[in-house]
Amino acid sequence: MVETGPRIQSPLPSGNLVFQMARRDIEVLFRTPWIIISRGLAFIIQLFVFATLISRLVSVSGFFQYYAVGSIISMVASISFIIGYDIFEEAEEGVLDYLLTLPVSRRQFIIGRALGGAIRALIYVTPMFAVVAIIEGFAQPASLAAAMAYLFLLAFGVTGLSITVAVSVRSANRFDVFLALMELAIVRASTALYPISFMPSYVASIAPFSPVSFASNGARSLLLGPGLDLSTLAGLLAFVVVFLGLGAAFYFRKLEGGVYA
Amino acid sequence: MGKRFGSLDAVKNFSLEVGDGEIMGLLGPNGAGKTTLMLMMGTVYRPTSGKITVQGYDVLEKPNSVRSIIGIAFQDPRFDGILNGYDVLDWHLKMTTSLGKEERKQRVEGILKALGLWEARGKRTWLMSGGMKKKIEDAKILAQRPKVAVFDEPTAFLDVPSRLLVWDMIRKLREEGSTVIVATNMMDEAERLSERVAIMNLGKLVTVGTLGQLKDTLKGGEVLEVTIGKDGPRLEDEVLTQFKEVHHVNQVDNKILVYLNFGRLMLPKIVEALTSQGYKVESIHLKEVALEDVFLTYTGQQFE
Repeated sequence: MVETGPRIQSPLPSGNLVFQMARRDIEVLFRTPWIIISRGLAFIIQLFVFATLISRLVSVSGFFQYYAVGSIISMVASISFIIGYDIFEEAEEGVLDYLLTLPVSRRQFIIGRALGGAIRALIYVTPMFAVVAIIEGFAQPASLAAAMAYLFLLAFGVTGLSITVAVSVRSANRFDVFLALMELAIVRASTALYPISFMPSYVASIAPFSPVSFASNGARSLLLGPGLDLSTLAGLLAFVVVFLGLGAAFYFRKLEGGVYA
Repeated sequence: MGKRFGSLDAVKNFSLEVGDGEIMGLLGPNGAGKTTLMLMMGTVYRPTSGKITVQGYDVLEKPNSVRSIIGIAFQDPRFDGILNGYDVLDWHLKMTTSLGKEERKQRVEGILKALGLWEARGKRTWLMSGGMKKKIEDAKILAQRPKVAVFDEPTAFLDVPSRLLVWDMIRKLREEGSTVIVATNMMDEAERLSERVAIMNLGKLVTVGTLGQLKDTLKGGEVLEVTIGKDGPRLEDEVLTQFKEVHHVNQVDNKILVYLNFGRLMLPKIVEALTSQGYKVESIHLKEVALEDVFLTYTGQQFE
């Protein structure tokens, strides 16, 4: 039978609770390693078949390099959106109700989830980033670390955006469509995969404001030169602050108001 | 307090106090508002009116304090299906207690063995049967041992031995100092576990009391079956209706059916009244009012 004894009820320190929430999302990734493997294979095919082919077709010099860095950035954004699907699914299955009864403040909860989603996205792309770094000969540790920081900021902001959408949309179909459109908008209407000078004017006018553009331009500047671009860093930080804040605000208002009842 | 979703009052004008260390049964038909009430207690939903306090902490003002003393076992198991039973419990304890790794291990092992799940501890929960999942859900709270433990249909999907076991463990939890709230649709569960029962219907509290109190609120809810000697004269109703607790008397041949309240207390008085009038009481049997009768009366429902 269950042993009796003193009732221990003190929750963990707050930093540890955030860490545990994040760790939960990260551990789910490692329980499904085939997802990482399949994504990695898809990336390799994209890089060695599609990117190689396209770079031979277009007249832009160094397009392969441009595309390789951009595809890492766009993959980070795409993977960071997954946290929204997780939260929506948890809400549908009632697991979210359980998580919300745990002794975790709403702030800790949302930061933990965003952090978990962001770290998970980084874990996904790190092997692919390593492949690109080896192929392209990116050997400056400081530049590589700073580029990783850009990736992390992008992932952190996109998870915030994804959480905002997840707690704002009720219908599963609407949620899928909305998130897919959102992903298309910020990834495709960005400078991740093609230079702005080749874009149609209606895309070129919005692409500079995409967070994926901030991350792509910033990472390229670090890896290919000339160096740290503060304007892209500022843009990315603003994106993170706005969407983490919005995620938290929507979360408080909608979820605790009983949107999933 | 109350909770409104759009134009629907899920819980309305609800007022209830649960004593420290008490087991309170919460009965109500489907859609009565039990789960909404529990989710408000657990700080998942905000009440739209009124106030809820858990061990003195207001759920709106001190939600984190409430979360640190409450544990809810949901009706449908709620955990990550990709995790195995051991990991579900270990993670729950990690989040809700300050137990160290070794202590958590001991506690998880103890509860899994007690519930007969130790052999299946490595099985992913989405592969488990409904009964096993339900036991894992209950085990979260039984292992956590919170100050306030809430169980929603704790023995749904369980076989009879498992039900008895879970009831026993819930009682033990209370003996260790937890206040327990059990929401259920099963009358036998409410009768066996609860010291008091609250009945909800359409979001409102319709009645609350001990089982005895609730049964006694039904007029003539108990039936006393008396068999008297065949040779005696027909019984005059007034012999028994002189007692205000007796509501109706029905005689068929030498069998008398007395509809009354407080049957146990009235039994000697009725025997005395009959024998003093010269009737020979051959047998007497008290059929107590069942909790089902109370439930159906207060919720206005009928057996199909």
